[in-house]
Amino acid sequence: MHIPDNFLSTPVWASLDAASIPAVALLARRASRDLDEARIPLLGVMGAFVFAAQMINFPVGIGTSGHLVGGALLGCMLGPAPAALVMTAIVAIQAFVFQDGGVLALGANVFNMAIAGVLAGYLPIHFWGRTKRRKQAIFAGAFLSVMASASLAMGELLISGIAMPRPLILISMALFAMSAAIEGAITVAVVEAIERLNPRLAQKTHASSGRAIVLLSAAAILLGGVGFLLASSAPDGIQQIGVKLGLAAKTGFHAPLADYSVGLFESSWLRRASAGLAGLLLIYGVCLGAGRWIGRQRSA
Amino acid sequence: MHHVHLDNWSRGRSPLHRRDPRAKILALIVFLIVLATTPANASLTLGIDAALLIAGILIAGLPLGELLLRAMVVLPFSLTFGLISWLAGDRLRALALIEKSYLSAAAVLLVVGTTSLPALLSGLERLGAPRMLVLVAQFLYRYLFVISEQAQHMRLAARSRQGDPRFHRKGRFRAAAGALAVLFARSYYRAEGIHRAMLARAFTGRFPLLGSLHFRVADGAFLLAAAAFLILVRVQ
Repeated sequence: MHIPDNFLSTPVWASLDAASIPAVALLARRASRDLDEARIPLLGVMGAFVFAAQMINFPVGIGTSGHLVGGALLGCMLGPAPAALVMTAIVAIQAFVFQDGGVLALGANVFNMAIAGVLAGYLPIHFWGRTKRRKQAIFAGAFLSVMASASLAMGELLISGIAMPRPLILISMALFAMSAAIEGAITVAVVEAIERLNPRLAQKTHASSGRAIVLLSAAAILLGGVGFLLASSAPDGIQQIGVKLGLAAKTGFHAPLADYSVGLFESSWLRRASAGLAGLLLIYGVCLGAGRWIGRQRSA
Repeated sequence: MHHVHLDNWSRGRSPLHRRDPRAKILALIVFLIVLATTPANASLTLGIDAALLIAGILIAGLPLGELLLRAMVVLPFSLTFGLISWLAGDRLRALALIEKSYLSAAAVLLVVGTTSLPALLSGLERLGAPRMLVLVAQFLYRYLFVISEQAQHMRLAARSRQGDPRFHRKGRFRAAAGALAVLFARSYYRAEGIHRAMLARAFTGRFPLLGSLHFRVADGAFLLAAAAFLILVRVQ
């Protein structure tokens, strides 16, 4: 599910990078507000734990085995914003150190797995995590977490114009659903085992969360659902949407800076690239400025 | 293991190793964007980009064959999708997918192979990545191999017990869940211990930087030259 570079078309990776930069900044801010500094080593070590957990195999059928993905487990144990932050760190380390996922596609991978995956997985736990239906809620959370990331990745690849025959899409959707169910079973078993081992660990680690996170989580599930429906019902349609989006982006992209850059460069590529880059830089600058400003407000 | 090579590579002393991490990150991003927007049939541009990459690897003194071999980790993914595109009749895209994703992975390896991860992360922080995220990533990388080794020991122990025929599938599933729970608890206690040790060493909430970053003229020149060359090749 880690998308390498050059699989997504430029409008897709650029807009997902542009969406992920402020989202991660927001999550980092929320996480540092919710937690005292004592938890920073905890978050890092929990990230290492999720990495290492991939080495423990779970037998799930004849000759096959699965392993923990971890988005819902982290959400359940650490709370949504810290869990999303830990997943972001994991995805970034995977991209840089293990070449698992691209660097330009980092925004897309962070969006699918760390933001949508963790938040979608957290919603059922938020509502039913403390009732009698805790077990079902954790299962549903882990299922939704994997399903949302996989559907989003699939939708992004299709919008980018990667041709996939319809039966193949349906088969991979079925495989995703299966691995999501396996993730659900593993997560429930691990959470129960942790609670048996030391009830303090499961209770102490539950941070409160605001309405904004709940709304974002619902949006993540909705987005995953849209990706799933688009991918499974109209694979031809989605490619057409992709083509149209690509055209729209091409015509819309250089509009604001067109007059300025025409005189400087003849190449239309350079014009579009510089306009796109200017857009990214603008978002980057706004985030940086907002971060500084909020930081000053807090320390003052 | 993988990381040991990377850590050894990044301890070299080439001109590329000496560049400021920020310059290398920005040059990498320019390279990747140029590559991503190069049309699949522009084989001259792709060839020059590949040559530039190989020159960079040689200047950095990294083992060329080993690095190119390591970049193949993307191939299972891109070969699968390349095959699908090929069968769907889109041969140009199939080739481009494989070539370009491979070149991108090699470029990332070149940067990570000439920059230690702490330097890379502090470069990212100076470029505006949230401090909290950078701290978490630093701890993650520091303890990744410690916890992985623990997991490997547990896996070995579980394997050596699995000869028991009474250990049917459901039992093995529960045993794996128990192993993960133990690993989770150990990681948790380790984190508490780490924090106490940090407090005992007068941690103030901020990591002191050993050997702070300096963006020198040479770094700016390197970044400008790399970006100008790449863009010229792309626009030609």
